[in-house]
Amino acid sequence: MGNEVFLSAENILFTVAMIGYFISMILFFVFLAMKNEKAGSFAAYLLSACFGVHTVALVVRTIGAGRLPLTNNYEFATSFAWGIALVSLIFIFRYQFKALGAFSVPVIFLVIGYAAMQNKEVRELMPALRSSWLFFHVSTAIIAYGGFGVSFAVSLMFLLRERMNSSEFWNKHIPDREWLDMVSYRAASLGLLFLTFTIITGSIWAERAWGSYWSWDPKETWSLVTWLIYMFYLHLRIRRGWKGRGAAIFAVVGFICVIFTYIGVNTFLPGVHSYA
Amino acid sequence: MIKMNFRQDSCLPEKVIVPYMRKVLKFLGSMQFALILLLVLAVACAFGSFITQGQTLTWYMTSYGERAASAIMLFGLDDVFHSAWFVVITAFLCLNLIFCNVSRAPGLIRLWKTGFVPEKREKTCGRIYGNTEEDPAKLFSDMGFRKTASGSYEDGTGYRYAVKNKAGIWGAWLCHLGIMILIIGFSVGQMLKTETSVYGVPGQSKRIGDTNYVLSIDQFRIDLRDDETVDQYTTDFTVRNVSNADEMSGTTSVNHPASMFGMKFYQNSTGWAATMHVSKGGEEIQNGVVCVGEVTPIAEVPGLSIIIQAFYPDFFMEAGGEIGTKSSELNNPYYLYIAYYNDRVIGMNALGASEYITIDDLTVWFTDPQTYTLIQITTEPLAKLALAGGIVIMLGLILAFYVQPAEMWARKKDGVWMVTGTSRKGGVLFDRALREKMMQAEIPVHEESSEIPAGESDEAGIRVTENEDVKSLKDDAAPEAQNAGKDAEAH
Repeated sequence: MGNEVFLSAENILFTVAMIGYFISMILFFVFLAMKNEKAGSFAAYLLSACFGVHTVALVVRTIGAGRLPLTNNYEFATSFAWGIALVSLIFIFRYQFKALGAFSVPVIFLVIGYAAMQNKEVRELMPALRSSWLFFHVSTAIIAYGGFGVSFAVSLMFLLRERMNSSEFWNKHIPDREWLDMVSYRAASLGLLFLTFTIITGSIWAERAWGSYWSWDPKETWSLVTWLIYMFYLHLRIRRGWKGRGAAIFAVVGFICVIFTYIGVNTFLPGVHSYA
Repeated sequence: MIKMNFRQDSCLPEKVIVPYMRKVLKFLGSMQFALILLLVLAVACAFGSFITQGQTLTWYMTSYGERAASAIMLFGLDDVFHSAWFVVITAFLCLNLIFCNVSRAPGLIRLWKTGFVPEKREKTCGRIYGNTEEDPAKLFSDMGFRKTASGSYEDGTGYRYAVKNKAGIWGAWLCHLGIMILIIGFSVGQMLKTETSVYGVPGQSKRIGDTNYVLSIDQFRIDLRDDETVDQYTTDFTVRNVSNADEMSGTTSVNHPASMFGMKFYQNSTGWAATMHVSKGGEEIQNGVVCVGEVTPIAEVPGLSIIIQAFYPDFFMEAGGEIGTKSSELNNPYYLYIAYYNDRVIGMNALGASEYITIDDLTVWFTDPQTYTLIQITTEPLAKLALAGGIVIMLGLILAFYVQPAEMWARKKDGVWMVTGTSRKGGVLFDRALREKMMQAEIPVHEESSEIPAGESDEAGIRVTENEDVKSLKDDAAPEAQNAGKDAEAH
């Protein structure tokens, strides 16, 4: 199915983006390990370029498939990686925070690597998936997962920052822990806002397609678990003595829930969301 | 009968019980309790997803072992989401939110009405300070504050004050309110919800549950694509009120439910059906449409029933005895039937289109295979309330995360403006932005931890506000201002 020329082009662009993300990841590692500023700048620009190529790949697949690429495991995985890349770039450039790449790009690479292992075949959609709510439901999930991915990366930095000395390089690129805590919070709150939107749009769509707003399907349940964990994280942050390390640990736990909701549920707990 | 009088009796109830109750109520609305509930709910939901729900004890014993099965049944883990303890936890979460919102509302209203004024900020200011002889109004504007108020204190010193995103203080409160509305809407909605289904083939009419309405299936279509995958299932139907003959027609398809008479009609599923004929002595005594999986009693012989267990439109049987269908085309229809007599299987076989079953003096055969449609019919009175709760949650989150209240304040003393700003939720990011803007404006920046010697000049030659002046702004923080700050950020 689909326009083969576009799908072949998408395949090439996808591979280029994946290789680019890998090189960018190595450069970010060099930047931090060797304290090489040039490597860091180049890695950030390469990440931007890869994100551009990845975006074109998704557009080309949209044209080739005749619909948005948000409906099967491969499409959601590549879009998930795209979402983390998007939020990472926003945070890298908005907060002048190159070091984030060394922690978020490996996540992008793992997710896009998972996508590469999935079946890329374009299939016609089952009637339940042919809804305009699909766009709102899945695209918000991508941004949510991107936000959580970045929060996870920054929280890891927070936990590692404790062990780092306070050289000029570290102080410049991985500022104090209070700042990291705030950036992690910003990313998690972006994720939580969009996850809430995902759950609400999903409920509305579920009612139209299946006649029930909420049926405790494993994917629904684990989205709620993720939502509860991040709510816990937000409340924990404003409790005396928990801001910082405790909150960072819960941001990491939250992202493990995100990954389980995405991959674990599909693998171990099949339900009506088995295609997603 | 013992009569307790809390007021006149000993001091015990008054002095012990009342404070104890107060403590309990305080705990019920506390963030500590909220954290416990959030975590317990998350763990309960995870259990509910890992343990297959709604199975029998035998099933659990086979799947998880005897001990685990007993534990599952004992703790209601076979139906977590409808169990009493899950409902109790959710009710406690609701209570927690109610107590929290009720106790916070007065503080927030006070903060909204009187909290954002220069007199209050004079007592609680930010961590970043700058001193400049220039009017700080431009700095305020650069920081995104549109309106700047000017005035002077009783001692004659002038001030500049600006506030933005005041509405942000309501974010968490609205979010809590939304969760409450959603939980109440969803829970009560589930109790009031009715759900039934009607299935059949075009031409059939069936009563909708125990209502006065009858649903007639006018037409059922399965639209196929070129590759024979299903594009859409559509049913045209008519609903008639038998008591007053009111009638409405509608169409339902997947993702496009129909609404009429306060009910919603969903295209739920489809399957195969056929007409079953029963004859005795050459005379047809019974016929009717039966769906696959539907048990049909034979009226002539009490206790005798027949079910079409499966239908194969394009039947094949392999050498090994394996049976199946090659396609969904009606090329070689076969019916796999089971005959029961008083719940005992008396016959089972695959029956071709021209074949028949003989049971004593009865002959049974099937004709006209066709697809049936199953329409799910629900009434969910409070669904919109739950949705409204969801929208309020979204609004609350947007306010809490992206409309963060911030203030800038400047006081002129001896010709020098001491400028500061604060955003409790913006925290270090606000401070960082303020520091950058101050540096761009060439205003020397001092941070909370900086030592600012009294009366000395900084590097730029501008006289620094006296250390005591700055210190007093921090130390003299009025309790009400501190409380107001807590209100803005608390649970």
